[in-house]
Amino acid sequence: MNRGLWWLLWWLLCWPLAAGAADDTLTTVMQRLAEVKTVEAHFQEEKNLAMLQQPLHSSGELYYRAPAYLRKRTLQPQPEDYTVDGDWLTVEMADGGRRDLALSGHPQIQPFVEAMRATQAGDRATLERFYQVDCAGDAAHWQLRLTPRDPMATRYLTAIVIQGRHGWIDRIETLEADGDRSLMTVTPR
Amino acid sequence: MTWPRRWSIPLLWLLAALLCGAIVLKTPVVADLTLFVPRDDPVAELLLEQLRSGPTTRLILIGLAGGSESDRAVASRALADRLRADHRFSRVANGDDTLPETELRTLFAQRYLLSPTVDPQRFSVDALRTALQQRLRELQSPLSVVQKRWLPADPTGEMLTLLRIWQGGLRAPAKRLGVWFAPNGDRALLLAETRASGYDLAAQRQVVTAIRAAFAAASAGTPIRLEMSGPGVLATLAEDTVRSEAEWLSVLAGLAMISILLLVYRSVRTVWLGALPMLAALLAGAATVGLLFGQLYALTFAFSMTVLGETLDYPSYLFSHRRAGETVTATLIQLWPTMRLCAATTLLGCLAMVTPAMPGLSQLGLFTMAGIVAAVATTRWLLPALTPADWRPPRPIGSGAWMDTLLIPRPRLALTIGGGALLILLMLALTAPPLWEDDIAALSPIPRPLLQLDQQLRADLGAPEVGQLIAITAPDAETALQRSETLARWLDARQAEGLLDGYDAAARYLPSQARQHQRQAQLPDPARLAENLQTAMAELPFKPDLFAPFLAAVAAARNAAPVQPDDWRGTLLGARIGLLLSPSAHGWTALLPLSGVRDPQALAAALPAADGSAIYLDLRAETSRLAADFRATALQRFAVGAALIVAVVWWGLRAWRAVAAALTPAVIALIFTVALLLGLGERLSLFHLVALLLVLGIGVDYGLFFSRPVADPLLRRHTLHALLVCCGSALTVFAMLSVSALPALHAIGLTVSLGVAASFIAALAAARPMIETMS
Repeated sequence: MNRGLWWLLWWLLCWPLAAGAADDTLTTVMQRLAEVKTVEAHFQEEKNLAMLQQPLHSSGELYYRAPAYLRKRTLQPQPEDYTVDGDWLTVEMADGGRRDLALSGHPQIQPFVEAMRATQAGDRATLERFYQVDCAGDAAHWQLRLTPRDPMATRYLTAIVIQGRHGWIDRIETLEADGDRSLMTVTPR
Repeated sequence: MTWPRRWSIPLLWLLAALLCGAIVLKTPVVADLTLFVPRDDPVAELLLEQLRSGPTTRLILIGLAGGSESDRAVASRALADRLRADHRFSRVANGDDTLPETELRTLFAQRYLLSPTVDPQRFSVDALRTALQQRLRELQSPLSVVQKRWLPADPTGEMLTLLRIWQGGLRAPAKRLGVWFAPNGDRALLLAETRASGYDLAAQRQVVTAIRAAFAAASAGTPIRLEMSGPGVLATLAEDTVRSEAEWLSVLAGLAMISILLLVYRSVRTVWLGALPMLAALLAGAATVGLLFGQLYALTFAFSMTVLGETLDYPSYLFSHRRAGETVTATLIQLWPTMRLCAATTLLGCLAMVTPAMPGLSQLGLFTMAGIVAAVATTRWLLPALTPADWRPPRPIGSGAWMDTLLIPRPRLALTIGGGALLILLMLALTAPPLWEDDIAALSPIPRPLLQLDQQLRADLGAPEVGQLIAITAPDAETALQRSETLARWLDARQAEGLLDGYDAAARYLPSQARQHQRQAQLPDPARLAENLQTAMAELPFKPDLFAPFLAAVAAARNAAPVQPDDWRGTLLGARIGLLLSPSAHGWTALLPLSGVRDPQALAAALPAADGSAIYLDLRAETSRLAADFRATALQRFAVGAALIVAVVWWGLRAWRAVAAALTPAVIALIFTVALLLGLGERLSLFHLVALLLVLGIGVDYGLFFSRPVADPLLRRHTLHALLVCCGSALTVFAMLSVSALPALHAIGLTVSLGVAASFIAALAAARPMIETMS
């Protein structure tokens, strides 16, 4: 038997194993994340936009409470507050303006919320409803690549890449369809 | 009787019947409720136009119930997609109001003409800098991904303003999973607007079938149920219900009548002889209405049931009065004066209903008149031509002594009944119970459960049931829009005062051309705008050439042709405008639906200050008022009919005593009937009134026959026999109608069966005593 055929056989044997291993990692990561009930953290965000001559920087605080409460409180350069609780998104602006909207009524916003919230909640079913999830690494150093399933969403979003260790999210990188990207780094408070 | 003469009458009858049949077959049947609304009122006319062909009549309300929430949402999207691809629908809304890309681009291209925030200050250095800083903040937000595409060509954010206006509108149903749901979440809601009028039954039938098919495809494999309502759907369902109900009721009633005839006269011949006047009445009535109106109203059909009841009386008079040694023709000649008078009273009663102001009522009147004439003529001339001269029903008539007992005059009973009637009248006058049904829906031939579903869906959808609105009619669309703009400013002020929650207007989406020209004039010239922008951008991190598309767009907008209603034809934008601004009989009509009006009367009273010729419509109050007006007119006509009946009875009898004897029982019967109806908790509607007119006719008939100056006691027995048969058959038939689920048939059935019984008792008790005690 020649080498090529051996290789092929080897691949056929190993491929399900490898896939199974990745799947296994994802399950473990999701479990670890699900075990976390509250998170309080600082974040730094850098946005690189084609429209601007220099990147936009912002920073603030993140709060999470299992299973469905997530708050992104921007402090710099101007205060802004985004709170998601269940199906409701509340936006509070620096000028005191406030908007409440139901996520289910805004299908273009929900994927962004779930990328972060469902990941931290370890809610794989919800995550996979919006994204194709590719997992790399191991439970100690993992990376999830979320590719949107909805063709509407792919028009402006290429992927969201999340890196972390065990039950902690370190970085969230958003890759937009037009080449713009933003990177959020999360550190414990 | 010679052969040619003997056969000429049946031949003539047959020819006439065939002719009438041909006319009837060519006459379309319509279920248009608006035929019953008076025609000589400008507000009513506007309302009618809305009721008849306005956008609201073309709405189909759809509910998807059962299954899981996401099942329903998915089915809602799939169904909406399918229906949007169907050219028979001008609009399909399910809450998924994201404008298609092409329409977003249209809106974007026209933003400087459409946006209300465009004014001279909008493009100053300060305003531009503020706007740019705002855009920069938005870029920082997590939501910027979706919004930033418009930024380079629209730094002042006009598109955001336009989208906010588009998504605003009047209150819309709550959304779940991106589509409309009922407040409790158990059904997904859709709204489809058909191109065809709600009263174009053939088209509506197709549309309903199309929705069913689309639903079957969209919901395959799920346990979701389809619920549908709306004027068109109800009209088709009503037609089906009326038809099936009328069919089985008429079969039952026919069987009952045949049994009565067979039982009483023991002769098959009476059955088909009795059917001939009835057939003649139906054909002649329908053909006359068809010839004069070109269409038959479905309710006229329902009413034809009552005519059937009365036409059986004429042959019964003949059958019961047959005696040995007298030819059929001789019996008829002897009965003729009374029969003629009976027919004449009914005819004149119905003549009162014929008025050009009310096509629906006129149809009922004409139908009955033609039917009565045909039935009487058939009894008088066709029946003797079809029977041997000495034919008699085999059953001996008037043999029982019980008849004589019944016929003994009982003045005391008569006085009691008369006194009782007076007492009831007094009580009615004193207590003044709620008498009239002013809900126009009660005229509807639609069964209650369907109406309840309709109300439920309407309540769930919220928006389409517009209770309060302001209507503007203008010679052209531009004038209508300009006046809407003035009114909108006035309404804004009233809204600020808290007099109402909100309003909608075509001008919100599409400003008048005058307003658009005004905005164009306010746009800065390219050089100045570029300079202002340059200054405003200093120290901000935007790339230098980023806003070139903005400069180009403003320059282009300065010379663009203003947007007109036609430019948006066939789009979602156009559909939204079409609901609020549409061509009408006298030019264009703009509607401004209002929501949350605190005090409609005060707002209506203040309206002339803003626009002298705008009309404030409180649809519910207005329809109730129309129903009341209509009832008042019908009542007036009823009075005229009653007066005509008195006149013709006087003309026929020429003696006040006889007139009183013939009419008093009928009046007593009417009083008792109304009292009984009210006692049963009924409210009087059009159908009750029309049926009461019929009761009056029947009561006068009974009174005339009972008070006939006849010396021969045997003949009196014959009369009693005839009237017993008439009363018995009428009671049987109308009691059957009274159990019908259709409000119209129920009302007619109940009223007539009560009325017939009351008439018979009153006539038997009062007619003879009055003649005899007075003579």
